[in-house]
Amino acid sequence: MAQEKKKTKSEKNIGKTKITLKEVKRQKSLLIISFFVTVYGLIFYYWPLTGWIMAFQNFKPAKGILGSKFIGLDKFKFLFEDAVFLRVIRNTFCMGALNLITTTITAIAFAVLLNEIRSVIAKKTVQTISYMPHFLSWIIVTGILHDALSSTGIINDLLMRIGAITAPINFFAHPKYFWPIVAFANCWKETGWNAIIYLAAITSINPDLYEAASIDGAGRLQKIFHITLPSIKPTIMILLMMNIGNVLNAGFEVQYLLGNGLVQKVSQTIDIYVLNWGISQNDFALGTAAGIFKSVVSIALIVICNQIAKHTGEERLF
Amino acid sequence: MKKKLLTLLLASAMLASTLAGCGDGAGAESSSVQEGESQGSVAEEQQSSGEVTDFTMFITMPGSEINSDNEIAQMIADKWGVKIKETWLTGQTAAEATGTLIASGEYPDYIDSDEMGQLVDAGALIPLDDYIDQYPEFKETWFTEAEWEKFRQPDGHIYWINPFGNTMGESTATTHNDEAFWIQVRVLEWAGYPEINTMDEYFKVLEDYVKANPTMEDGTENIPYTILCEDWRYFCLENAGEFLAGYPNDGSVIVNKETMTIEDYNVSEDTRKYFEKLNEAYNNGLIDTEFATQTYDEYIAKLSTGRVLGMIDQWWDFAYTVNDVFKQQGLDLKGCNYVPLGLTTEEGMENRWHTYDDTVNQASGVAITVDCKDPDKAFKFLVDCAMDQELHDLRFWGVKDVDYSVDENGLYYRTEEQRMECADTSYQASHLCQYSYMPQWSGTSRDGKNANKPEEQTSEFQNGMAEPLVNCFNAYGADNYVDMIGSVVETNGPWFPMYSYSNNFTTDTPGGVAWAKMGEIKHEWLPKLVMSSNFDSTWDEYMAAYNACKPEDFIAEMQEILDTFK
Amino acid sequence: MEKTANMTEVKTTGGTTKKKSKGIKTHYDSKIFTVINSLIMIIFVVVTLYPVLNTVAISFNDGIDAVRGGIYLWPRKFAIKNYETVLAMENLITGAKITVARTVLGTLSALVVNALLAFVVSRKKFIFKSQLSLFWIITMYVNGGMIPVFLLYRNMHLTGTFWVYVIPGMVSAWNMLVIRTYMQGLPDSLEESAQLDGAGYMTVFMKIISPLCKPVYATVALFVAVGQWNSWFDAMLYNRMKTEYTTLQYELMKLLSSVMQQSGSAAAASERGAAAAAITPLTIRAAATVVTILPIICLYPFLQRYFVTGLTIGGVKE
Repeated sequence: MAQEKKKTKSEKNIGKTKITLKEVKRQKSLLIISFFVTVYGLIFYYWPLTGWIMAFQNFKPAKGILGSKFIGLDKFKFLFEDAVFLRVIRNTFCMGALNLITTTITAIAFAVLLNEIRSVIAKKTVQTISYMPHFLSWIIVTGILHDALSSTGIINDLLMRIGAITAPINFFAHPKYFWPIVAFANCWKETGWNAIIYLAAITSINPDLYEAASIDGAGRLQKIFHITLPSIKPTIMILLMMNIGNVLNAGFEVQYLLGNGLVQKVSQTIDIYVLNWGISQNDFALGTAAGIFKSVVSIALIVICNQIAKHTGEERLF
Repeated sequence: MKKKLLTLLLASAMLASTLAGCGDGAGAESSSVQEGESQGSVAEEQQSSGEVTDFTMFITMPGSEINSDNEIAQMIADKWGVKIKETWLTGQTAAEATGTLIASGEYPDYIDSDEMGQLVDAGALIPLDDYIDQYPEFKETWFTEAEWEKFRQPDGHIYWINPFGNTMGESTATTHNDEAFWIQVRVLEWAGYPEINTMDEYFKVLEDYVKANPTMEDGTENIPYTILCEDWRYFCLENAGEFLAGYPNDGSVIVNKETMTIEDYNVSEDTRKYFEKLNEAYNNGLIDTEFATQTYDEYIAKLSTGRVLGMIDQWWDFAYTVNDVFKQQGLDLKGCNYVPLGLTTEEGMENRWHTYDDTVNQASGVAITVDCKDPDKAFKFLVDCAMDQELHDLRFWGVKDVDYSVDENGLYYRTEEQRMECADTSYQASHLCQYSYMPQWSGTSRDGKNANKPEEQTSEFQNGMAEPLVNCFNAYGADNYVDMIGSVVETNGPWFPMYSYSNNFTTDTPGGVAWAKMGEIKHEWLPKLVMSSNFDSTWDEYMAAYNACKPEDFIAEMQEILDTFK
Repeated sequence: MEKTANMTEVKTTGGTTKKKSKGIKTHYDSKIFTVINSLIMIIFVVVTLYPVLNTVAISFNDGIDAVRGGIYLWPRKFAIKNYETVLAMENLITGAKITVARTVLGTLSALVVNALLAFVVSRKKFIFKSQLSLFWIITMYVNGGMIPVFLLYRNMHLTGTFWVYVIPGMVSAWNMLVIRTYMQGLPDSLEESAQLDGAGYMTVFMKIISPLCKPVYATVALFVAVGQWNSWFDAMLYNRMKTEYTTLQYELMKLLSSVMQQSGSAAAASERGAAAAAITPLTIRAAATVVTILPIICLYPFLQRYFVTGLTIGGVKE
């Protein structure tokens, strides 16, 4: 509590940092660094945005951006008049949100629980194993998943044995299972990897806090909820906010590899739509238009979250 | 494991020590160039027939690179003065790769792309007309006048040559490379080799067999029928209607030759009957319940166990992998090999499943770019590839007495050992050099005896056949797969195949938009039709969704194309 | 400088006292927690490890035999053909050299630049703090598309060089924010007292903040290194014809797509009559995955040292 109060106080102080000559002089080294990275950023990240013009053109690579014919908002109109695109937005958004929530929770839970293991060797071993799935390509992961969920696979086998079902379920034939399967696949693949950041954050917790809690007679669960989690809250909030902007990047490969005709109504994401309509048909303008749409939504989400965080006194991105 | 780790660490230490040399990339480059030059000079001494020119070639298809010190490539370089470094498509679509190439403005010497139109628009290709005229013999043998015309672009020039689909002399095709309903020979043998001409008969045989033999010898359950529906590979489920109605593989549409009109097979009565039959079979438990969700890998794995009695597919999509497994596991001796059946909707109709003609796809081919170092030499090599039998044999058969042997009658054959070696990937990379996207022939070679390609050589084909397959062919009086399916021999129209046009449709036109939407709708509804518990109402729903895509736009545009052939 | 030394000392002593007090506070519920936690970890490890081991098993199995399925933890028909194929790639050594070079250079440069930038934006008094953060956050969600980026690199003469692997990806907003969050968690008093002693910002960065940031630096280094190690798209896009700048992953990708073409695209297969070999995409993919993972697993213990140092400073409880 005390810490938090102190923070809000010092934050108020920053607001008061005025741009005076003296201050500028004092921050000379910071400003020099800022200058160089900003120039770098303008060149490598902002200059290519001129490519957004392509979305308003009937872009042909042969003619280049300057030579292609302008078609105004045609491509955007095409997107938003297409019922499929609206459905695709829904899919992307729901899968993105579901993935974000589940992977965040599992990664935090894993990091916290791993931290509770006392044997250093066990801790090291478990962690090393935990991030290995990150390196398996989606093709391999989806292959394994297909195996496990097939009618003779281990999941159906297990469910039949405990009597939960009488006949094997064809998991990939029913739209209602698709999103949970994708979320699970993401959790399985990335939990250990995502936990690395939380583990690093946990290392920065002052051990005195645990000491004091132990003296107060707090149990381990209590310490988790009252010390560990609040201490890594800034990290959690920042990552959550950063990833909220990525909700529309719900993915391409998983859905592409796991999807099939029967579930395509729930499986197609914006990226798949762009592949079907943009790339395969050589329509760069459409792909760019969808990209712009994604960027705009992402930035809007980030700004909204940041504003909420500002008002509730949480950690902010900017 | 520990040992492996150690070697790995050692290896990385070694790499780190050589790192100093690699940071300076220019050094590496110059040394490799020198190497190339020294090789070239050796060749010069030997042949004294001009220098070796190193050409680059980009192909917008995935493929295997050959080593830079490939032996046959070197022999070709020594004799014909050209060495090609091929680069293949990786991780991009053909459109993206071509797009970046155009954006970069730097081209390889040769290019083979699916997006030729774009390259022409970009001014990336040199017109070949004058070169073609310089080699009249080539011009005459390679294409007919009408075929050459198909390659002529709106600006009046020819920019590329399709290297495939030319048969020399008598066709030696033994396999039915196209689509068919396939059935295992053990089923036919059990049923006493009956005549099977319709889908009803086909499913009847499958049903009877599986009733009598629910499992294989080892206890694995037989699957009577499966269908692959993954992504673009769903075409077999999709286009059977056109074949069942007795039309050839125009792909996206049917061409009615009498009226010269385009017909939509998706809504035809034959297609409806086809799906109705599948639906009936599915509800009778004859179709694999996981057919709609299986991936290609799973499908191949399923077939490889030999438990699938029948399916619809194109030969190249399954046979290479599956037949190898059968052989290895001895399943070919148990009659698991597949033979094609030329089914039609009604008894007594002609079938056109097999394409006898050369299929000239004018949409793609090999071209020479404006950045080419030596267009004269580059084109001459294209001609050599097509016209020089010695070069052709070297590319496809390999080196005499090393990769193949010649019997007393002058027939080429490969010993078991040679066959194994040629199938080895590292040997392919270090020794064999097909230049597989340069002009080539199938059919009989200029010596009048041998096939141009080993896989079409009769002896090579027969060597690989197991007894049950031979028995089956004998029972039907067939020599090979082509005889087995027994399609009508007929010359296709100059427009054939229509899919070479629809594949190039873009969303710039309403027809292209409709075509893409139709594909999407079919992906969803065709499996649903098969699995439906009430076929009629599902069909009506499907038709409603289908007609909402405005298929008439697509048909109209296809008709326009067909009209140019009137 | 002295302050930091003091600080670490305090922390270490804190750690040891706790170790001493261990055992006194072992509650009954703590034991239950340990048991449940261990169980969760064991399940986690099994679920995670199985597919990885399965991949290893498949990678050592005969290709055609593997297609039949049913391989679990041990190859059924042992073969090293897959590894032979992977390791027989002509450009393997060049690719490995370039990959090691880009991983080392790329990671070092990215770490330095991101740490500096994070340091700048985490200074509470820095006058452009939020503007600079926002400037970089936006870059996470917008991009101009492939062609404009390509044209930019070409105009800067980066294409066809080794530097295209290092320079464009140097600053990553995501990694920068991870470091920033960690830096923000450090007590302000460290910086303030150093500045009272007359230290400039650069001294604060070098001597005070960076030593404390080892865990997060290790984390980001791992992220960047893995990214560099695994990347192939840039090699393909910018150095397609330049074999001397090929990367390991690009060579593996080439191998994979060439094996896949065996069962690949319609036109290719029907026109060329494939020569089937005893390797299949399934086993080659597995072998390629193992080849990719191994070096990183070997590298990880070194980085993990920093996590563990951090853990012993802050993480040991009770």
